[in-house]
Amino acid sequence: MTDLFSAADEEAALEDLHNRHMTDGLPVIIPTPARVSKMVLASGQDADMILGTMGPANGMATLEKVAVAAVMAGCLPDYMPLVVAALKAVIDPRFDLTEMQATTHCTAPLIIVNGPARHTCGPVSSSYGALGPGHRANASIGRALRLAMINIGGGRPGTSDMALLGHPGKFSYCLAENEEASPFPPMHVDLGFDSQDSVVTVIGAEAPHSVLFSGDGDDPNQYALLLEVLAIGLANAATNNAILTSGMATIVLNPEHASVLHKAGLSRQDIATEIYQRCKMDGAEANRLCAGFARKTLNPRQAFTGPEQLLVLMSGGSGLYSMVMPSWSAGANKNSAVSVKVEADFYCEVPNFNGG
Amino acid sequence: MRDGVNLARIGIPVVALVTDEFWPQGDFVAQSLGMPDVPRVQLPHPIAGTGTKNMKAIAADYAPLIIKALEADHD
Repeated sequence: MTDLFSAADEEAALEDLHNRHMTDGLPVIIPTPARVSKMVLASGQDADMILGTMGPANGMATLEKVAVAAVMAGCLPDYMPLVVAALKAVIDPRFDLTEMQATTHCTAPLIIVNGPARHTCGPVSSSYGALGPGHRANASIGRALRLAMINIGGGRPGTSDMALLGHPGKFSYCLAENEEASPFPPMHVDLGFDSQDSVVTVIGAEAPHSVLFSGDGDDPNQYALLLEVLAIGLANAATNNAILTSGMATIVLNPEHASVLHKAGLSRQDIATEIYQRCKMDGAEANRLCAGFARKTLNPRQAFTGPEQLLVLMSGGSGLYSMVMPSWSAGANKNSAVSVKVEADFYCEVPNFNGG
Repeated sequence: MRDGVNLARIGIPVVALVTDEFWPQGDFVAQSLGMPDVPRVQLPHPIAGTGTKNMKAIAADYAPLIIKALEADHD
């Protein structure tokens, strides 16, 4: 059963939630019983349905508690299937949520949405500024997961979340793949799902690092230069991946860069393989820069254990910049991405729901 | 677009070249600088990095439109 607090009015309730360290530092929508009930109703499932436990506090994630987080974050009921899928992904043991919440690294869960739910449970932006402000679904779905990680999982800065600085994606970090503009099959199809499935993939990720590439259409080998700069961004000597030689990581191609690689005849798997092969560094150099962690005597050292460790998707506006997200790469499961099929069939519309 | 507006302000005939991806931003900038009707021609996107042959082809295709826009503005 979810605890109930009382306050004189919404202003006092907000201050109370801040004082209890139950917010992310920004104002939240007060999760009144009426609002939470509507969110639960929209889910079409029982409030006390248990999704699992969230570390490090081992809090029990019931549907109602997830609905509380969704209300606080400003979600519309339509977003609930994506919030629930993202939550299921991070409580999967392969995700190592407890360790991720506790680490001093800045890692945050990056939520990637594929399939029809990008539209029916959103819209979740996959275009200009998808990781920035201005997109309600992107902002509030990621925020709902974070608030669940705070209030159910107990991840609080300086006490149980020991990230030395963190990064702004710890407020919200959510985008969709632009399947319509991509020259490749959707990412979830390449991960083994059907094209009509909707899938949420979550991966621990650093803040996005911009990768500048201005092609030259007269150069038939320009694609190789693009692969090279993506690899430099992803596995330079300052990253955990390069030093620890493990972990999954993310590459977000913009439409222009995806087109360059597609025109070179590369599939998504080919791109991952080509970048994987370029993500290597000299063993002596790794030992010189970070001897305490670069214990292995491999030479050369591959930053990743294989191309399947690289998530490649297409999103964002069209132009010069793609993004790479190196990762923490630690934990028992080495920073594994987890994909969860979105169960939208249970969900129902709530008449006259105005989000209030 | 901002260059185009600044040149137009000092009386130099101008046509701003804006690619289709950035057309809404061009409208926004022209509006916000108080010159919403500054002449402009829409180009395909992308152009940068597409190679000399493609850029020459675009120049050949769009030069008449640029001249037409200049003449219309002069009228």
